[in-house]
Amino acid sequence: MGPREPGEATGTPDPVEKGLATINTITLGVKAMVQKDGELRKAEILSIRERKGGLSFYVHYVDFNKRLDEWVPAARIDLTQEVEWPRPEKAEKKKAAVTKAPSKNAQKQHRADSREVSSTPDAFGSKNQNVAKAPRPSTAGGKENRDTPGADVSMVGSEGVSVAGTPKVLDSEDLEMPDAPLKEEVKTASGEVITREEEIERLRTGGSMTQNPTEVHRVRNLTKLQMGKYDIEPWYFSPYPDSFSDVDLVYIDEFCLSYFDNYRAFERHRSKCTMVHPPGNEIYRDDNISFFEVDGRRQRTWCRNLCLLSKLFLDHKTLYYDVDPFLFYCMCTRDETGCHLVGYFSKEKDSAEGYNLACITTFPQYQRAGYGRLLIAMSYELSKREGKLGSPEKPLSDLGLLSYRRYWRETLVELLAEPNREAMSENELALLTSMTEKDIHETLLVNNMLRYHKGNWLIVLTDQVLEEHNKRMEKEKVKGSRRIDPVRLQWKPPVFTASSRTWNW
Amino acid sequence: MTRYGGLGRTRPKKLTSKASIPIVREHEIDIIDDEIQSALQQIETGVEKAEESEFHLQVAINAAAQGKDKEAHIPTREVILSDIQYAKLYPPVFSQPATYIRFSSTVEDCCGCPYNMNDEDDVWLKNYNSKRDASSQCSEDDFEATMNFFEETAQAKQPFAAVDSPPVLSFADMAESMDAAVEHCVKRFAKDVFEHWKARRMATENRSLEPSLKFETGQETDDSDPFVCFRRREVRQIRKTRGRDAQSAEKLRRLRKELEDARQLVALVRQREVARREMLLMERTLFMQRNEVKEMKRKLNIKDDDEDLINQKPKKKAVEMPPRQPPPPQLRMPSKPGVQGAEDLQLLEDVQAEKENEILRDIKANIAKHIKWNEGFVDHTRAPLSPSPDRTFDATSFRPALTAQLPTPPSSESSGDAVDSSLDVTSPLFSKERLASRALELHDEAHRMPSFRRRVGRGGRLFIDRRNLVARCRADLDPLKADRYKYDQEDSDEEPCYSTDAYSIQIMQHRAITMAKAREQAAVAAQAHAQAQAQAAQQRRLQAEQAGNAQVANPAPTAPTAPSET
Repeated sequence: MGPREPGEATGTPDPVEKGLATINTITLGVKAMVQKDGELRKAEILSIRERKGGLSFYVHYVDFNKRLDEWVPAARIDLTQEVEWPRPEKAEKKKAAVTKAPSKNAQKQHRADSREVSSTPDAFGSKNQNVAKAPRPSTAGGKENRDTPGADVSMVGSEGVSVAGTPKVLDSEDLEMPDAPLKEEVKTASGEVITREEEIERLRTGGSMTQNPTEVHRVRNLTKLQMGKYDIEPWYFSPYPDSFSDVDLVYIDEFCLSYFDNYRAFERHRSKCTMVHPPGNEIYRDDNISFFEVDGRRQRTWCRNLCLLSKLFLDHKTLYYDVDPFLFYCMCTRDETGCHLVGYFSKEKDSAEGYNLACITTFPQYQRAGYGRLLIAMSYELSKREGKLGSPEKPLSDLGLLSYRRYWRETLVELLAEPNREAMSENELALLTSMTEKDIHETLLVNNMLRYHKGNWLIVLTDQVLEEHNKRMEKEKVKGSRRIDPVRLQWKPPVFTASSRTWNW
Repeated sequence: MTRYGGLGRTRPKKLTSKASIPIVREHEIDIIDDEIQSALQQIETGVEKAEESEFHLQVAINAAAQGKDKEAHIPTREVILSDIQYAKLYPPVFSQPATYIRFSSTVEDCCGCPYNMNDEDDVWLKNYNSKRDASSQCSEDDFEATMNFFEETAQAKQPFAAVDSPPVLSFADMAESMDAAVEHCVKRFAKDVFEHWKARRMATENRSLEPSLKFETGQETDDSDPFVCFRRREVRQIRKTRGRDAQSAEKLRRLRKELEDARQLVALVRQREVARREMLLMERTLFMQRNEVKEMKRKLNIKDDDEDLINQKPKKKAVEMPPRQPPPPQLRMPSKPGVQGAEDLQLLEDVQAEKENEILRDIKANIAKHIKWNEGFVDHTRAPLSPSPDRTFDATSFRPALTAQLPTPPSSESSGDAVDSSLDVTSPLFSKERLASRALELHDEAHRMPSFRRRVGRGGRLFIDRRNLVARCRADLDPLKADRYKYDQEDSDEEPCYSTDAYSIQIMQHRAITMAKAREQAAVAAQAHAQAQAQAAQQRRLQAEQAGNAQVANPAPTAPTAPSET
């Protein structure tokens, strides 16, 4: 999977109007070249504000993750080069007005299409995937996170580039794009309204938790976070109280996750708060970490706080609906002050689609230390207890994909490399790991381990994966193993009857 | 099928999940790595399509594919050590229990007073305390408790403050809700802190002082507002496999609603009764006071005694009445407004009478108007539905036709007509008027006579029903009225019945004759029937004999003619 050159994406469906601009003529949606780390990157202007006498611009670097979006001073915008103007609003409006009804359908279809492509078909174990599969069945419940795969397509202005990989976009006749991006004042008329209604409708009837297109591209609202011993820069928008947008530092209580925009208030709160660990039952404990199970219905405030916090680091999570149908498995490290929340994953109490995990995150101050792997391992350990195969809900984030692929590969290689293993079916692998057969199959393919050789299928343990495996084993010997010990897990799958879900009995 | 290593010419065998796949090391096979890259391209990442192409992700995926996990890194934003005094904020109070922790307290349980004072409060409080001596200082906790009380009261009294921005509550409103449950310290500082609270509320357009999340407000703007979060789910999670659960939940919900409604009704009734009691008490005090005035006047010899005496009466009653049962209000309404003379107290009565009159006038005018409207129309809708006032289902107003009816000739079809004609036409003695009056006489005696009725049953059987009915006493019925309703018998269409003197010779004679006649008729009919049956039986027997069957058919039952008593 070679990196796609940004230039490759220039096959935009519609001709882009280009021209020179000045600082004062730059408007929202304009794409200009911006200095970043010593190079020029194409960036879209998402917001403009006046600061310290000069204008500053909130830019999204095209083909880079939104977490790198930032405020830049005018000086960093290269105005010697032509900029791309946003598509005129008029045409959009006209189109929407004239072809209102048909375009709605078309949009829907388009949306559904793009969704199929990016969402993984969920018939687990089916290997000959049909790309044109129907969109995932909707649940009555709903995911805690989940953004619609289609949502990004409607991303303002930038869709031409960012979706260029998808052939679908080429028939962009009905590309729905609210031309006016995020700013409140530019609420476009009918075109966007329809989209919005559709979004909401799907939120209501379908299970998928969707973000609306305007929200997807939203400007980050918090500047900095103070939590525990760390100051953290948030990555994405999160619906904290809107007055928080104006403060420089937001304080988060490390244990109860309450939020404050004033240090004095935070200090006062700390003097009163007695919580020292997540408010649930401990289900796992080893030398390093503990896991707590927290019920979204019983601990509504805490779980809301948790979701608000994690939304800062998860793009494709939406807090549109409440936390009731989820259980939160929170991983903590312990010291004399309490159990510090390192990361968590949420899980639907009753997933109609066989997901064993909805959202997962390791908070930034603990990232790149192997905690993500433990969270994933725990999610599969729970699935083993349940006697089910499971898979994370899609879409995955970039970091999520890397973590999962790595976990899957290591888990499979570990099993396959066991001495005296001569043959195994994917089904056996699934039963041993609680991974779905589909995930197993794809992992084998991704790592070039499943090959058709002289009329037979083979699982090939490549030198590369074996080497990696051996390295890991050695490291574990030295540093001690970092894995979930099933013996220490005190957990029975919680049973929720219809009445307990409805009435909280 | 480029996915499987360029073996386009031989389609690879289908791989099922149950199929056992041999595991080999790389060196054990010939290397065919033609199209690894293209194979990789086919596999879904599960990442948002639009983000799949992101630069860092692609770099990382490729690094991972080459086994360089270290390089598979996606840059994220900065995290630095904070300069806050961590040890001060988070004291080391945690001691790990030997067993796994079980915990169910909520955030609210653990956080004490939900209001947290900020810098602004701090300044105010310091200033406030500096003006007071050591004994009457307001502590931070007291201050927060007081502020919290204001916040909570405001929330309770103006739950939609965020939407319709009402004016900030006044201190009187606050004082109102200060009950026993409110802490002492709150009461102590409430007045002083209130102005500060009010000023802060004014500054925030009467929003809650603590920053709060935006929840649903039920407004149109909710949907497009990204700050609105944690909406309630409209679609309940109901397992599809158990429709019954949903049903019973629905039933419970309905039941609950019904009970709720009933409770509401009872509450309203109670409210009404309480209001009524209050009204009565009020009236009573009003009366007492009036009385006192009068007494005073009498003492001062202002009025003559007569008028006072008239007023004395209700007063006595009011005094005698037990407090639980206040006299009905009408009793205390002075019957004549003029009685009380020129006193100013009179005025209320006057006004009431005036009002009454006005209403009456209004009604009359309305009636007149109605008549005018309906001029030239005949109102068919009213007449049949309005019952005559005397014909209620009251024991005394029940017409005694039933008892009188009993001795009348049978209502059976066979002889009814004959009787009718004989009664109506043949004898002037049977004129209805006479019969009616006789019947009335009979009833006036309150005579208890056995009554009979003859009817013909199936197969011409004859019945005589006998009843010992207690004749209803209708002493209050005047003959005129009785006459009026003589033909008003409800079931007169089917069973015309007439009041007769059962012992009059004529009637007895007639009865004997008709009974004999009927018996004769019945006997004839029965005979004919028996014959027919006998014939049929014979025929059957013949048939049976012809068939060589020795079976004897049952003889047909003879028709009974004996009267039976019920």
